[in-house]
Amino acid sequence: MREYVAELYKTVRRPAVWVCVLVLLAIAITIGYAVPWLAETFAKTTQGLPPGTTLADLKVTLYPQNFVINTLGDPLGGVFALILGVLLQGSEYGWGTVKMLYTQRGGRVAMLFGKLAALATVVVLMVIGLFAVDAASSVGAALLDGKSIEFPAASQIVKGIGAMCLIFAFWAGFGFILATLFRQSAMAIGLGLAYALVIEGLIFGLGSALISSLKNVQQWFPIANTGYLTDSFGSVNIRGIRPPAPPFADATHAVLVLTTYVVVFVVISAVLVRRRDVTN
Amino acid sequence: MATTTPDAVVTTHGLTKRYPNGIVAVDGLDLVVRRGEVYGFLGPNGAGKTTTLRMLLGLIRPTAGSANVAGGSPGTPASLTKVGAIVEAPAFYPYMTGYDNLRLLAIYCGVPVKRVDSSLDAVELTPRARHKFSTYSMGMKQRLGIAAALIKEPEVLILDEPTNGLDPQGMADVRKLITELGQGDRTVLVSSHLLGEVEQMCTRIGVIRKGKLVAEGTIDELRGKSKLLIRAKPADQAMAVLVGECGADKVKANDDGAFTLSVEPARAAELNRRLVQAGLDVTELRETERSLEDVFMELTGTESGL
Repeated sequence: MREYVAELYKTVRRPAVWVCVLVLLAIAITIGYAVPWLAETFAKTTQGLPPGTTLADLKVTLYPQNFVINTLGDPLGGVFALILGVLLQGSEYGWGTVKMLYTQRGGRVAMLFGKLAALATVVVLMVIGLFAVDAASSVGAALLDGKSIEFPAASQIVKGIGAMCLIFAFWAGFGFILATLFRQSAMAIGLGLAYALVIEGLIFGLGSALISSLKNVQQWFPIANTGYLTDSFGSVNIRGIRPPAPPFADATHAVLVLTTYVVVFVVISAVLVRRRDVTN
Repeated sequence: MATTTPDAVVTTHGLTKRYPNGIVAVDGLDLVVRRGEVYGFLGPNGAGKTTTLRMLLGLIRPTAGSANVAGGSPGTPASLTKVGAIVEAPAFYPYMTGYDNLRLLAIYCGVPVKRVDSSLDAVELTPRARHKFSTYSMGMKQRLGIAAALIKEPEVLILDEPTNGLDPQGMADVRKLITELGQGDRTVLVSSHLLGEVEQMCTRIGVIRKGKLVAEGTIDELRGKSKLLIRAKPADQAMAVLVGECGADKVKANDDGAFTLSVEPARAAELNRRLVQAGLDVTELRETERSLEDVFMELTGTESGL
């Protein structure tokens, strides 16, 4: 418990953590709501839209009844969780504070779990913050357009927060283990971003065009499972646009796979932290 | 093997660290540090001092041997609770103030936050306590490191080259502080490659070379007994008189024509009288003492840090 309180003490004082969270929230408002609303309100062309679909039809994604789906569809949130995971662990190696931490009273494993608990707390608060600003933005969009304010059922919102917490936990854990493995931040962020933005997408994007059975392999990979989980919340019905095909695997499968990844990350991090010499 | 005494606070038996690349950083080290002493761990750069201290703190796992620090195995809560340490350059969170960094450590260690103030006072850092660590000078960082080591009110302080990077005034301040901290029951284990520093601070010294402890004792013990230096003319006759008086094994002719006698310095007057009675001119007669520098160079075969 002492370790958890201490980790929170330094985490809340760290400007980089606040920058990370606030930039994510700012992007969620601007890219998720403000820019689409402006484009769908003031654009003069409907080029690229199916026949019969207007820009106003697209706005339905911005209203409160769809804010959970819209929030889960945020493509960048995971990247910020990854960066947080890297920052909380990797900087200890960069600053050399790891030797100071491990010579305090609790020892290495207690320090690790204190840090993971603090990271989990930040991730949960970040997700709640994201849902809060998205909900507020959706209310703003509805008010501006004179639409009624109807939120999804509370159970749907809670499930959405839970799903996003799991997705962010995966990314934060991925960043954490990369930082632990490489004992630094730069390499961990570089590799983490490469995986998040390129590697898995490229492998299965190109591969599935050549090998049809690759979907069976992809179902065990993390980004695919974050997709299955978010897709399990359904899609927004937009007039004239066909809803996407149902996900390859269901939410239960996605939850199990992502949870397994998180547990594996924690176990490997604990083994590395416990066994490795601190020489820097 | 070092003999463990009841008042031993730090002991190692055959402590060894062999890296995968084959380098043996510490080689069968037997060490005993007793309660209340300021023990200087002396050795040239790369001798294995830092690796040893890291093993004592549980930061590095030994490949063989064992250690006990303040009643527990290194790195276990039983040991860490009673040990304060600085390993190489003190490391803190640059975005936090000195005060916040120490407060953080107080939370980690489960000690009252009021100790932060007393630790800062002890190192005279209170006026800069509310400034960010990143703005501190090297000397202030080092003093904050010592304050951090003190926050647990530890029985044992392990300090790795605590004056590294400090200016002469800073070095003097830190030495004075360490000497003060070593008074009473607290045990201080301080590593250094600086002879003068160890000589000023430490009650007992262990000299390490290539991972092995090559000597251990008080400064006087390491220096050995004083000798007599005599210069008399003609030298060949002086040699004959001195050998007759002291024995051939006690007389060494130096390159510069003087003689070094391994005898009690109290015999100076008597030997002077014999030489004069033999009609010789005695031009120099004094007690000599090996400097710690001589001892260090002899033991380590280096000149580093002098």
